[in-house]
Amino acid sequence: MNARVKLFDAVAVTVLPPVARLNLRLRPADIATASKAFGLRLPIKIAQGATINGRAAYCLGPDEWLLHANESEQAVIVAAFNELREKTPHSLTVISDREITIAIIGPRAAELLSVACSLDLSRMAVGTAKRTLFDTAQVVLIRDGADAFRIEVWRSFFPQVRELLDIATRELASGF
Amino acid sequence: MSAFRIKGRGLVNAARPVNFTFDGARYQGLEGDTVASALLANGVHLMGRGFKYHRPRGVVTAGSEEPNALIGTSRGPGQFEPNTRATMQEIYSGLSTESQNKWPSLKFDLGAINDRLYMLFSAGFYYKTFMWPKSFWDKVYEPFIRRAAGLGKSPTEVDPDHYASRYLHCDVLIVGSGPSGLAAALTAARGGASVVVVDEHAELGGTLLSEPSVNIGGHTAWNWLSSKLAELAGLPNVRLMARTTAIGYYHQNMVGLCQKLTDHISNVPADVPRERLWRVRAGQVILAQGAIERPMVFDGNDRPGVMMAGAAQTFLHRFGVKVGDLPMILTSHDSAWHTAFDLFDAGCKVAAIVDTRSDIAPELMQQAKKRKIETLTGHTATATTGRLRVTSIRVNPVRNGSVGPARKISCDSVLMCGGWTPSLHLFSHTKGSLDWDAKAKAYLPGHKTEAVHIAGAGRGLWGIAAALKDGAQAGADALRDLGRKNVLASYVVTDDRTGTGITQKELPTDRSPGSAKAFVDFQNDVTAKDIRLAVREGMRSIEHVKRYTTNGMATDQGKLSNMNGLTIASDALGKEIPQVGLTTFRPPYTPTSFGALAGYHKGSHFEVTRKTPIDSWAVEQGAVFEPVALWRRAWYFPKSGEDMHAAVARECRATRHSLGIFDASTLGKIEVSGPDAVEFMNRMYTNPWAKLAPGKCRYGLLLGEDGFIRDDGVIGRMRDDLFHVTTTTGGAARVLNMMEDYLQTEWPDLKVWLTSTTEEWSTIAINGPNARKLLAPLVEGQDMSDAVFPHMSVAECTVAGFPSRLFRISFTGELGFEVNVPARYGRALWEKLMVAGQAYGVCPYGTETMHVLRAEKGYIIIGQDTDGTVTPEDAGIGWAIGKAKPDFVGKRSLARPDIIAKGRKQLVGLLTEDPKHVLVEGAQIVLDPKQPKPMKMIGHVTSSYWSEALGRSIAMALVEGGFERIGDTLHVPTADGGSQAAKVTGSVFYDPAGDRLKVE
Repeated sequence: MNARVKLFDAVAVTVLPPVARLNLRLRPADIATASKAFGLRLPIKIAQGATINGRAAYCLGPDEWLLHANESEQAVIVAAFNELREKTPHSLTVISDREITIAIIGPRAAELLSVACSLDLSRMAVGTAKRTLFDTAQVVLIRDGADAFRIEVWRSFFPQVRELLDIATRELASGF
Repeated sequence: MSAFRIKGRGLVNAARPVNFTFDGARYQGLEGDTVASALLANGVHLMGRGFKYHRPRGVVTAGSEEPNALIGTSRGPGQFEPNTRATMQEIYSGLSTESQNKWPSLKFDLGAINDRLYMLFSAGFYYKTFMWPKSFWDKVYEPFIRRAAGLGKSPTEVDPDHYASRYLHCDVLIVGSGPSGLAAALTAARGGASVVVVDEHAELGGTLLSEPSVNIGGHTAWNWLSSKLAELAGLPNVRLMARTTAIGYYHQNMVGLCQKLTDHISNVPADVPRERLWRVRAGQVILAQGAIERPMVFDGNDRPGVMMAGAAQTFLHRFGVKVGDLPMILTSHDSAWHTAFDLFDAGCKVAAIVDTRSDIAPELMQQAKKRKIETLTGHTATATTGRLRVTSIRVNPVRNGSVGPARKISCDSVLMCGGWTPSLHLFSHTKGSLDWDAKAKAYLPGHKTEAVHIAGAGRGLWGIAAALKDGAQAGADALRDLGRKNVLASYVVTDDRTGTGITQKELPTDRSPGSAKAFVDFQNDVTAKDIRLAVREGMRSIEHVKRYTTNGMATDQGKLSNMNGLTIASDALGKEIPQVGLTTFRPPYTPTSFGALAGYHKGSHFEVTRKTPIDSWAVEQGAVFEPVALWRRAWYFPKSGEDMHAAVARECRATRHSLGIFDASTLGKIEVSGPDAVEFMNRMYTNPWAKLAPGKCRYGLLLGEDGFIRDDGVIGRMRDDLFHVTTTTGGAARVLNMMEDYLQTEWPDLKVWLTSTTEEWSTIAINGPNARKLLAPLVEGQDMSDAVFPHMSVAECTVAGFPSRLFRISFTGELGFEVNVPARYGRALWEKLMVAGQAYGVCPYGTETMHVLRAEKGYIIIGQDTDGTVTPEDAGIGWAIGKAKPDFVGKRSLARPDIIAKGRKQLVGLLTEDPKHVLVEGAQIVLDPKQPKPMKMIGHVTSSYWSEALGRSIAMALVEGGFERIGDTLHVPTADGGSQAAKVTGSVFYDPAGDRLKVE
């Protein structure tokens, strides 16, 4: 069992509790207004992320942001954007339940992800996020640190992704 | 110590004997041996039988190009692998191996009768023999061909092994760890690039393992090798991968690697994968794959003991094994002379060196003379003898093109070298051009399509010094292309064994070439005669010759045979080689297990099965499931003793009489949001949306540009600028993609955005006369009365305390609601509804009941009642088209002549004459069942069910001119040869007035 204990030092896979998760779409010209409503300057470069006071925004596309906040703030955020709707056309869709978040943390986290993630993770900066594939599932991959990642995956694909992470974790632990 | 093992030689571990079996007999080898080297050390050359003629065959090479020594290996239950190359399989304690294609035994094989009948098995014999009589095909020919097609037994048990996959990114990927590969790696790694070096063998070093006498920079080859490998292994930017084959070279420098992890280990720990497939994306690729030695083509060149000279050299130096006591050399290249010298120096008696060339470097002649080895230059070989092992070779002088008198030379092995072919398989995968080099008589790399460099013998260079220099240069070129600086290393090599040689067609003979068994392709048993016959029979292109003779079509992809076959074909055609062409190499470079390609996708992880939040409840209730797109859905909920028919009938009755509950979570959902949402909806869907008030919903129909139905679903308007669109289960991703496509390419000006919310919501459908009675007490924030919340309404409210989007809609014809709650609450809501529903005998129903109930109402299922050629009018839902709208996707196509023509297939109802007869879905429909065959078919049954509500069967069908045939009787031929008469009706079978929707 020694290998197993050592393994958990190397990488740990955990399911994170739910967050308020929103998909924000708007024209780049309206970024400033939206930033104000969300209380955080929305990043403008694709993959860039920004975090402040427990809120986070990741730019996933030219007009698309993934917003995170504490669950308790979801209603407040929705209301704030609702105020904007008249003057600043946008789409804010609650997707808190659409995805489940998995944290992959440890010195071998990137190696574990490389079983099914085709990205060159050495080039993925801390604090960035990308929509990509993990095995055959669409995911958003977030890098929180050199050794810390999150995967957000649609609920029905979660068991498949989780199972593969478990298989691959055992594979890493085997030492081969 | 085994008889043919030379003490103190090789990289094998003399202190570690390893026992294994071959055809049931126990053999001992040493740690580091392959099956081939271990058997050779025991004096065993006979390792298999030929594919077609069942001739005895021995090992020919020492590498992955081996065509003969293909064995079955068993590592444990379910772990049998056929066609393993004995030259690549390492031995380990407990390994069990067997020869193939023999019965009853390898030494006595009845199939060898084919060797006597060889005249029957000439080129194209499949095409000629199996043509006639036609009736023989099913019973005789096909079974025969299937049995004969392919060597080895397929495994029959489930493979219990694990297989793994990885992605890898690097600056420089180097394929091959011989001198050129290593020099490239050293340069690239010292320049700071991230470097991956792969080699298919267990030991890194390539040619250096077989050339220990060379001196590099004052070190013996092996000392130099181990110090350089240590240097590379110590660098953090270098990954060295042994037992790893680059199997394919794909676009944009994606190279597939197959790494063997455990096939050399006795006791494999749990969770360890057997093989790992690497998908490498490399900035630069350096191919340093060396060259493959070409056999000589002459009568009897396939007898056990006849093998490549280079292989003998490898067995000697890498494994410390002499392939015989009395070898003779048959060559047209200097390299084999050195093999002779090395074998002599190791204690063998060399029978002779026979060279087809007349001019030999004096230095070589001198070396031979010094060792008192007889040399015969300007000679040909015309036959061999020996049943299971070569015992002699017949050689003749060739003077001015004529073959002189024969002489027999006794020997126990014939070591041949017909020149060297640059190994450019991977380069060929990239579709880089191969240019014919007339001087080298070889195809060499030409125009490149990828960021690739070829180094060493792979581009026709010869000798360790040249390979090192070229490798270092390739490494420097790669660094330059990466924008990095480099320091070009130089290597001083002494005792290098440079040389030259020639290549040739089949060797001249004084006997009838027509009866010579001069093999070109050992694995597919193709002879020189077969290739000449193919040309005589009209094959002109090498691609045709290849397919007619099967030359190069075995699993070795002609690594040994292609160039010899091409040379012979070009001679027969009287054309230059480049005019005859070159066959294309395709991935994988060497045979690769299905397991490696499948990776993790096996067992429970084979394919994703999407499950709804309520799926677990259905499992607990013993539901039977069916796959729908990637989802699995509860099909029906049998109670004890019920079959499907009984369960579905009960579910239908319960829903029509009182209350049914259904998990509709898999329906696709798309949030269409923004000030231009209504304009977008008007353009996408056929229906008009402008006048649909918030709080109302409507059936939406989506066409393709061709006017054919693509998808449908109920769409609710939540706000002026927000629509909740539902799609079919299977159409969810497709519809979103189609919408995004139009939005981004056709209408980027529209201020509207799309977000998939399929999995945000869990959706529960409640249907039946008691649906409102169940729901109303649980709903807060919405008046549920029919007046305030009529059919086709939608509201945001809470249901059982959960935030909800509540639709009043029906896909059953009964009073119906669909409750959407955030997915995490799906099961909790379901359970609360089940408890509250007990008062009304609530009945969970599955997709089958859903299908029956909707068919009773004539509601269509996209993809079942439509097939991509059905318009709204064809389906009888022309009412869903907003006639006043200026445009929508597909509108123009609906006016095309063939779309408005009469006689199109239209969706109608069918009622069988026998009300108990349920038609088969997909059954064809005819006007007159007595007409002669083939009958004219005028349509087919799309949906067919037992209707519990009507007490009879119902069906829907697409029938030519169907609307005009209403009232007619058509016929549906049945599988038993009879036919069923059915009356054409409208497609609404139940409650045509729709009264049941309007429960107060």
